This record gives sequence, C-alpha cells and structure tokens, in this order.
Amino acid sequence: MTDISDKAREEFFSEAQEIVENLSRNLLALDAAEQSGTSDPSLINEAFRAVHTLKGLAGLFGATKVGALSHRLEDVLDDVRLGRQQLTAEVLDVLFASVDVYGQILAGEKEGSDDPIPAVGDLMGRLEQFGVQAGPASSPADEYDLDPGMLAVLTEYEEHRLRTNIEQGLRLYRLRVQFDLATIDKALEEIKDRAKRHGEIITYLPTGETTSAETIELDLLMASNDDLATLIGALGGDNLVIDEIPRQRASLGPATAPPSATRGTEVPRPASDRALSVAVPPAVPSEQPDVSLKAVTQTVRVDIRRLDHLMNIVGELAIIRNALARLSERLRGEGQRQLSSEVHRLHRSFDRRLTDMQNGILEVRMVPLGQVFDRLARVVRQISRDADKNIRLVITGAETEIDKLIVEELSDPLMHMIRNAIDHGIEPAEQREEVGKPAAGTIALNAFQKGNHVMVEIEDDGRGIDEERLVERAQTVGLLSSDEARELSRGERIGLIFLPGMTTKSEASDLSGRGVGMDVVRTNISKLGGVIDVHSEFGIGTKMAITLPITLAIVSSLLVRVGEYTFAIPVSSVSEAIVFDGTGVRLVDGREVMTLRGASLPLCRLDRLLNIGHETTSRRQFVVVAALGSRRIGIVVDHLFGQQDIIIKPLGKSLENVRGFAGATELGDQRVGLVLDAGALIDEVLAAATPGSDVDREGAWLI
Amino acid sequence: MADLVRTGEERLSRIRTEERAPREFLVFSLAGELYGVELTRIREILSPPPLTPVPRAPQDVLGVCSVRGLLVTVIDLRRRLKLEQPETTRRARILLTRMDGGEVLGLYVDEVHQVVRFPHTEIEVAANVLGGDVSEHVLGIARPGDILIILLDLASIVGT
Repeated sequence: MTDISDKAREEFFSEAQEIVENLSRNLLALDAAEQSGTSDPSLINEAFRAVHTLKGLAGLFGATKVGALSHRLEDVLDDVRLGRQQLTAEVLDVLFASVDVYGQILAGEKEGSDDPIPAVGDLMGRLEQFGVQAGPASSPADEYDLDPGMLAVLTEYEEHRLRTNIEQGLRLYRLRVQFDLATIDKALEEIKDRAKRHGEIITYLPTGETTSAETIELDLLMASNDDLATLIGALGGDNLVIDEIPRQRASLGPATAPPSATRGTEVPRPASDRALSVAVPPAVPSEQPDVSLKAVTQTVRVDIRRLDHLMNIVGELAIIRNALARLSERLRGEGQRQLSSEVHRLHRSFDRRLTDMQNGILEVRMVPLGQVFDRLARVVRQISRDADKNIRLVITGAETEIDKLIVEELSDPLMHMIRNAIDHGIEPAEQREEVGKPAAGTIALNAFQKGNHVMVEIEDDGRGIDEERLVERAQTVGLLSSDEARELSRGERIGLIFLPGMTTKSEASDLSGRGVGMDVVRTNISKLGGVIDVHSEFGIGTKMAITLPITLAIVSSLLVRVGEYTFAIPVSSVSEAIVFDGTGVRLVDGREVMTLRGASLPLCRLDRLLNIGHETTSRRQFVVVAALGSRRIGIVVDHLFGQQDIIIKPLGKSLENVRGFAGATELGDQRVGLVLDAGALIDEVLAAATPGSDVDREGAWLI
Repeated sequence: MADLVRTGEERLSRIRTEERAPREFLVFSLAGELYGVELTRIREILSPPPLTPVPRAPQDVLGVCSVRGLLVTVIDLRRRLKLEQPETTRRARILLTRMDGGEVLGLYVDEVHQVVRFPHTEIEVAANVLGGDVSEHVLGIARPGDILIILLDLASIVGT
C-alpha cells in the first residue's frame, strides 16, 4: 500500500464494502427477475457500474486484487449488458461468488496481508470461461439501413456503442464530409468536437468517392438525441451533408448480419471510454470521465468506536446529573428551599436534554437487519444449489432496526442455522412429495420488534427434529445416561441439540459440519445478551426463535442490593419483581422452588450462588423474576433501588473467566456496580436443577 | 510471554546489552520489603478509590474501580506474589499500568517511595532465595547504599 492516510484507507474500505453490498443486493434482484422470466437491463447496468466504480477506487488505493477482479467482472458484466453473454444460472453463480471473494480480498487487504487468496484464482478462472462466447443472434442495428460496408469494419467497441445508442432510442445520422487531405486531421477533430455537444460520433469511414485529388470524402456515423434540423443547424456547412438513417423493421439480407470478422479480437479500449459509456448517458458525453469520489448523498460514515466514546461522555454527564439531584436534596435538607428548587429545575432540564442526546446517539447506531438478511439470501441460494434442493426463502421484517454491533455478530450464527435448516431440515424433493409437501422447501426469516427486544425467527417446513434420535445420539456419545434420558421433558430433549458434539445426521456434510454448530450458535447469541428457543414438530418443521436486545450501548437496568453488593439487572431480562417473605418455598431435587401464579419458579439465592457471605438483615425480601425466552428464574434480593439507565463496560481480560456478570457500570459517587448476566445465571440455575446435575455441564441442558 | 521462560540471567544480560543508559524504577514496599518496577510502565499512581469486589474472581483480584470512566481491575501485588499481607494503611496506593491488550490494571501496593535511577552496572542478578513467588518475576536486584531493592518484571507478573 502506498502512503495514503489511514483515514482515507478506512474510507476506501467502507466505501468498497458498501458497493459490494449494493452489488449483492443487485444480483439478488437480478436473480429474482431472471427466475420470474423478466429481465431488467437497468439492474445489469447497475451491477456493471458498481464493479466499475470499485475498479476505479481500487486503482486509486493500489488495491490490485480488487482491481484485477473488478476488471474481469466488468468484462463479463459488459458482455451480459451487450447481450453477448446470456445471463445464465452459471453466470449468476460466478457473480454471486465474486461478492464473497470481494469480501475476502477486502478483509485481507484491510489487515495489510499480501497473502494470495486461493478463491481469487478460482474465480478468475471461472470468469475466464465466459467472454469467448459467440455473438448474439441479432443486432438492433439490423433495423437500420446501415451501409454493410461500414458495419463490416466496425470495431467491437464501436459496434457496442452503436447498439447501446440504438437501445437508448437515439437516432442515427450519416454525416458525409469532404475533407482537404492536407488538413483532414485537424478538421476531423473539429467536427468531432462540435458533434460532442449533440451526441456521439460512432465511427467514420472513407466513402471512396473522391471528387478531386486533394480531397477525401468520409461518412461519419453519429448517434444523437437531436432532430435533423438541429444537427444541420449546428454542424451543417458547405462540405457537410447530414442524412438521417431511417429505421426499418423489415428483416434484411445476410449482408447486414452482424459482422463476425471483428468478433473475438480484443480491440484496445481506453479506460476513459468505458467510463464514459457507463457514467453518463451517451447523448450528453461528459468532459470528465473520471470516477468521482465525491459523495452523492449527505451521509457521513462514522466509526462505531466514536459513538461508543460519545456514549461514554453521556454516561459521565449522567453522573453529573445525579450529583445535581443530590445537591438539590442537600440544599432542601439545609433549609435552602429556593436554591434547592432552582437546582432541581436545572436538574430536570439537564435530564431531558441528556435523554434526547442519548436517544440521538442510539438512533445513529441502528441499522436495518436487512444488511445481514441480504447476505443470508446469497448463502441460501448458494447452498441450495450445492445441495441440489429447491428452496424458497421468504424474508419479512428486513427493515427492523437493531444495534450495528449486534448485526455484525449475528451474521455467523444465523448463517449456521440457515445451513442447518437446508442441510438437515429440508428433505430432498422426492421425499417431500411422498409426504404431500410441495417439492420446494420454504425457509422463512422473520424479524420484528417486541418491546425492548428484537425477535429473529428462522422457520423451515422440513423434517423437524427427531427427538428419539437425539436422545439415542446423546447416549451413544456418553452425554446422557439411560436414566437421565427417561426423565427428560420434551423441551429438554430438543434442547439436546445445543450440546457440543451432537448431530442427528450420521454422515457429516460439507455444509453443516460435524455437529459443532448449535452449541457455538447458542454461545454467540448469549454473548449478545440474546437467547435462542427451539420449537420443532417431527415431520412438520422447525422454528428457531432468537430474542435479542435492541442495543448493547445503553441498558435500562434494575438496581438491587444483596448483602453489601449493589447489582444491576438489565430490565430487558426482568419480567417482574415481587415481595418475598420466604413462605411457599418448596425443595425440588434439593433446589428451592416457589410457585408463581400456578407455575413453579426456580429460585436463585445470589449470596449462595456467588458465595458472598451475608446475613439477611430484613425479613422482607424481593424476588426479581428474570426471564429469557421461555426460561425463567427468581433472583432473591434484599432491596430494590429502582431503575437506571446504565452503560455496561466489559470486565477486563483478567476477569474474562468469571461467569455470571455481563460487565460493570458506574453508579455515581465513584462507585462501580456489577451487572448481572441474566442469561448466564438462568443457564447456571436451571442446569443445576436438571438430573445428573452434580457434574458441571456448563449449562448444557437448557430450554 | 517470552519473559516467562527467560531466566534472570538472560533478562539481565538483555538489560546490560540493550540499554546502556541508566533506567528509572519506581520504588514501593510490599510486605515490608522494597520493590521496584520500571517507571515507563506506570501510567499513574492513585489513592485507592472505593473498590467493588468481584465474586468468583481469582484470589488476588481486589475488585474493580472506575478511573475517570475507565474500568480498572485492581490486583493485590502481595497476593499475586504470595507475600504476607500487612494491615492496610493510609499510605496504600494503586499503580496503573496498561497491558499489551489495552486493558488497564491497577496494582495495589503498601506504600510508594520514590523514583530511583540505576545504571545498568548496579543491577545484579537475583539470587533464588526470595520469598513467595517473587523469584519468578525478578529482573534483578539493586543495592543503593545498604538497602536492597528487588526489581520486578511487570510483564511477567501480570502476564500470568
């Protein structure tokens, strides 16, 4: 890389990333259009333009791999655009593959790695196979009464300019000009220059009809939007005659068939011409064909760490706000009523502005889930082709917004689940038809907001999870004894898929691997403060529902006290808090359980679980019901302090092995409180309550 | 990490060959003995703020605190080095040091004394007769006058 500033490079990567994402969306639209039998040339043009822009950017930043790939892709897309190459499924496959390869290249270049990427070579090879295709059956130029002699000597570039111009509905004109042999170079340039304002000179050719030894007559083929009169007014002169070339629908003789002599021979095409051909409509050629880096929209790209920094400042302002509240209290205590109420007013208006600011920053962090869904749609297409299964992907709620960081981290788990659904879920077409299902499987990807959460569901109409086989499998690999197996509830049986080392498909496939999937998926989801629930009906289908917080930046939390400790519990995982007097507690399997509205609720005594010695000072305690998905526990606490918006800061690396805490937060007064990780506590409490719990299974039995 | 496998001699020879200039050490006491760490590794010296203990944390972690919005994990150097733990006095301090991964750690010490400059020739190889786990983390020993200062290799201590 050259000595371009980091900031500019950063900009390049995010711009390139954005273009690749657009390209991907574009290809998906193209794919859909092709499948429904309609083809939209503007989509191909857009894809072409995206690749072209990338090439330009790559040149500026010395990103040679991106440049080389873009160059090749541009050729293929150009061929497609010009009808020289049919947009077959194979071509689309290669185009889709390029999106992934771009991703790899960009990731590599970003890290400054110069290692060759094997996928690039592969893709280049696949791209190479296109582009040596035979020409199209007919050319729109056939519809014009063009001089076959002229057509026969068109270069490929001139020919495609001709075709493009015709397709764009421009008129064709023949300019017959007499030039003085001595000054022809200059005069020709002059005419071209004047013509530029009205259209494009596609080619020129001597007519061979010389009137004198000093002159030469040329025919210029020109495309223009203007009518004949305008052109004559602008260009006409003594030695220049303009005729419009009439359009005729009648089929013409073989003489006007597209010339084959020039095909396949690569005519050098200056890059600027190509830029011209895509960047602007041909009728108004631009003087500056360079790719512009000027932003078109009024958007700024912001590194998310800067937003985190702003959020930290908001957090510190909140501490000042709280100090104001305390000051007001203190003044009132000292009898300074008027001063106190002034400070109080100040506090209130400060509070309102701060809330606005906080919401503003949060809004900026939000991105639509569609970003990750697009990527998934590509994967579905690829995998279903590889697995030779016909799959319909139905996406709803792509506009649902969620924290940018969550979107990034969501991609891999969702990918995994989709792969599972295609590979293990959806049956082969024959099997489906036997049981009366439509041959094409359906995978639904739904997202929607539900209170403080975003739900993402992946639902398939495949064979469902075979609980019996899951249980068998768990016993075979020694994760379950036969006694334990008998005592499992239905939910617990399905929950076995989250155990490491489980897979129901006996032979591992390239797609979903060897059962190292769902445990990792669940771990990744819970790192985001989310939880995953599985519902499955054998033979009918499977639905995996992920519940996620909307943002990671700021979390509304319930502050509680246990002994000497103040803990924060994110409100998003609290369903209610009730007064607890210690009565009605039963022991089930050595665990404390209480009954809440007819359902049993396992209790979690934090003092014992976390081994923090404390004597209960008050007889009256509280139970905070923590619920994630369908699982819930009651956390027994001494005191409730109420709700507060907090910024969770992760515990440092030296504490990364400490389970049960999502981080720490400043409570004001210089004090730090620990934030409970409700998901981890639920896992822990419920895991211990399951049969065979004496061994620590890292919360393996959930659901 | 490589420091872990280096012996005291190797570390010392590195000091002697690589850096001819005198080095500055911050001298503090732990359990009645004097210790020093390289001054360049210390960002700040704090009076201990209120610490929040972290349940389930390793034994030598005293807790976490916030230093101007930054979450700091405070480690008791005495426990880390398996030394005695005398009563805490008002002179106790926390030394802030930034680790390679960017994490800021607080090191709890009994008392901070001064900065001392040692020419490399005054740094001796450590004898393996030091208490607790100290000998595993020693850079060398310095004897200005009749006192003895044990120079610690901070990377080795907090890396473990």
